[in-house]
Amino acid sequence: MKGEFSMQSVRTLFKLDLLSRFGSTHKRGVKYRIMQYSNYLFFAAIYALLVYGIYYITRMFVEDGGLRIEYLTIAAFITLVIATAVSTGTVIKNLYQNGDNEMLLRFPVSGKEILFAKTCYCYLHNLIVCVLLMLPFYISFGVVTSAHVGDYFAYIGVTLLSTLLPFFIANIIAVPVMKLMNAVKNKFLLVLILTIAVICGIFVFYLTSLTTFLNYMRREGESLISSGTIYHFKQFANAAYPFRFYAELINGRLYGGLSAGQLALRFLYLVLINGALGVIAFFVTTREYYKTILYGIETEKASFHKVVKDVQRPAAWALFKREFYLILRSFNYSFQYFAMACAAPVMVFFCNRLAVSMGKESLGAEIVPGLTLMVIIIFVTIVVSFASTSISREGNCFYHTKIIPVNYTVQTLVKFALYGSVATISVILSCLVSGIYYTTDAGGHVLSATDVVAIFFISEILVVSLTALYMLLDIKSPTFNVGGDGELVSANKNVALAMIVGFAVAVLYGVFAMVFSFIPLSIGEWTITSVGGDMGNIYLILALVSFVLLGASLSALFVNLNKKYEKILP
Amino acid sequence: MLTIKNLKKIYPKSDRVAVDDISFELRPGEIFGFLGQNGAGKSTTIKCLTGILPFDEGTIEICGYDIVKEPIKAKMNMGYVPDNHSVYEKLTGREYVNYVADLYKVPSDLRVERLLRFSKLFRLEYAIDKQIKSYSHGMKQKICIIAALIHEPKLWVLDEPMMGLDPQSTAEIIAHMREHCAKGNTVFFSSHNLDLVKKLCHRVAIVNDGKLIDLFDLAGNEENKANLEERFFRITGTYEERLFEDYVAQESADMRPDLPVRRENAEEGDSESNAEAEFAENAEENIDEVSQSPAAEKSEEPENSATEVTENSADGKPVGKKGKRGGRR
Repeated sequence: MKGEFSMQSVRTLFKLDLLSRFGSTHKRGVKYRIMQYSNYLFFAAIYALLVYGIYYITRMFVEDGGLRIEYLTIAAFITLVIATAVSTGTVIKNLYQNGDNEMLLRFPVSGKEILFAKTCYCYLHNLIVCVLLMLPFYISFGVVTSAHVGDYFAYIGVTLLSTLLPFFIANIIAVPVMKLMNAVKNKFLLVLILTIAVICGIFVFYLTSLTTFLNYMRREGESLISSGTIYHFKQFANAAYPFRFYAELINGRLYGGLSAGQLALRFLYLVLINGALGVIAFFVTTREYYKTILYGIETEKASFHKVVKDVQRPAAWALFKREFYLILRSFNYSFQYFAMACAAPVMVFFCNRLAVSMGKESLGAEIVPGLTLMVIIIFVTIVVSFASTSISREGNCFYHTKIIPVNYTVQTLVKFALYGSVATISVILSCLVSGIYYTTDAGGHVLSATDVVAIFFISEILVVSLTALYMLLDIKSPTFNVGGDGELVSANKNVALAMIVGFAVAVLYGVFAMVFSFIPLSIGEWTITSVGGDMGNIYLILALVSFVLLGASLSALFVNLNKKYEKILP
Repeated sequence: MLTIKNLKKIYPKSDRVAVDDISFELRPGEIFGFLGQNGAGKSTTIKCLTGILPFDEGTIEICGYDIVKEPIKAKMNMGYVPDNHSVYEKLTGREYVNYVADLYKVPSDLRVERLLRFSKLFRLEYAIDKQIKSYSHGMKQKICIIAALIHEPKLWVLDEPMMGLDPQSTAEIIAHMREHCAKGNTVFFSSHNLDLVKKLCHRVAIVNDGKLIDLFDLAGNEENKANLEERFFRITGTYEERLFEDYVAQESADMRPDLPVRRENAEEGDSESNAEAEFAENAEENIDEVSQSPAAEKSEEPENSATEVTENSADGKPVGKKGKRGGRR
């Protein structure tokens, strides 16, 4: 890399970076502050839940299984893998993909100075992630083993030492990952398939782990970990270097049976490993960074070449095709819409399996149809929430909607058809997967064919209703002023509102179906549901409510549609 | 072709009248220039007549169709090129033009012929099958123009169309505007380039603070042509004597007293100054030729250079004029 290096420039660039991220002096209203603090509270609550879960896992391993060093090795392994994945994402996003590279290169600063300043931010980010991830494991370990106060200082020291490994590895692998990303640029279908596979993989892994964990919590009094499992854990811990070194340092001299010299040797090994990785990371990054960002700037506008026939098609089909391509050719949109729609059946199946196994044992098999309905509606919500950016996504091109000789009803119907049809396919597949499994011996016959058909119809009515409702949200209040596809989804209040409405509907429907499947409901002399009776009346009530919702949402969208469009100012 | 009567537009949550009681009519076969300062109401008027913005009072008719009562028929007769040339960047150029052609129900054979002709005319053949996101500023403008022309609209509306275009393309658009009008169609465009308007338009309207202040003929009226700049600056309240002075001489005498030699050199026939003056004079003559020629051929390259001289003049100062004055020194 060419250019001078001055710490003064690095400091200035680092300050500029921090200011651009957190330095807004714009005074916000009370509403904004309430939202902000609510978000902090929400995050704190989720984190507290996570820490509580970690504490249980620690007890499971250390108290019940007597697996001290094995637990610490596995904890070090899992946290370092997660930290490496997060850090790689941060490094790629900030070092290579950040749009400010082009701007910074105009200033009289060298590539090395930009790299160093950005690396400081990436390391800070990595430090926070590592501390938040690792300390709960180590502190839980200290609490469960009644460690001395001094041990907690050792945990902090090991945690700080642990922050280096993921950071150096992230810097090394970010370069080939960037090259791979450049190679698959504009290969939309391939990226979509890979995304779906990754989403499904992570989700299945997560739910399988959650099932195991919940099983443990349920049978807390029993000895869960079998001798076979203990053997496997021990085998893994004996071979998992360098993670075992971290574990041995945490476990300490008093408990691990290691002498002070042996512990010092472990520390030295870790310093050497980190040092070697640091040197490799330094050379790889300084050699490749400048070249890679220049390549990124040069190929930013690289596009594919595709020849299409100049054939006349109906206007509605042209609109449909355009909308489809705009979604498919954006990573953010295709992820939120197509990937989620395709992954939904897999997610529904695994979610259902967990919910059914938990619910059936605690409440009985009667709640399974209600649970299935709730899970499917939740995924319907996630998929069709995309409709709540239908107008916002047009951005600067919204004027097209107004100038083309196609009336607003047709334009709305085309979008409606696309969103609805993809969600419908997703619902059909989800119902088929649940139906095929749970109506068989393997699934315990917890669902009947009638249940599956009723769940499909109710879900389908909700697909149409929610799509109309979400489109209406965006027609009434679109957000045109956003910086890119990602922000359009993440910073759009309509998406958040759509999610809240959808989840509320899912919970109401699910709870209604579950509660009245085992609690009798009667109005006067009319018995609507009885204990152990069929679900027919419950489905009928839900279908009627859905039809009312359908009528209301469709009329809210299509009545006076022209006036609503007129009010949208690009 | 286009009739605007008593158009009034006030933006929501604003006290200012953006367009105030504007009325005018466009005839078939004319090029109509729409002038005004930034914020005078040009773009708002254009957005109202294209159906992008609703308006508070008045009527707009396109080819006899009211834009409010019969919007589809009105829009069918119009092609619009926006000032920000926003297009669906994830589509390829051909996909975008085909999309627009489908909406305007252009038959396959016609669109094939037109797309080929326009992509050749605007030198976009090599990029037509690439995604629009890879296009430059000028190429996006060109694809907007092709899409606006694919259905051969009777009324072609352009909002500051020459901004960011290379001289070759500017000349080609000028030529095509004339061709379009020759078929009995109408071109309505807003611009800040007074020289271009002077050379190109049959009639011109000047708006200021949302009001239509002046509307007059340019074609065949040399006096109006000659007075256009002064008239514009007086209407917009930006008239300053110094804008119409011989500012090359002024520069030498007042602003750069350290360079008296330059003037002397010019008087003595300094070769560099003479070459510059000659080029500028040629430039102005060439603009005349472009405006008369139906299509810009490759042999007309100098015309395009000439147009750029006018287009790229700094601070809105007409470089052609400067050059000419310089030449007369």
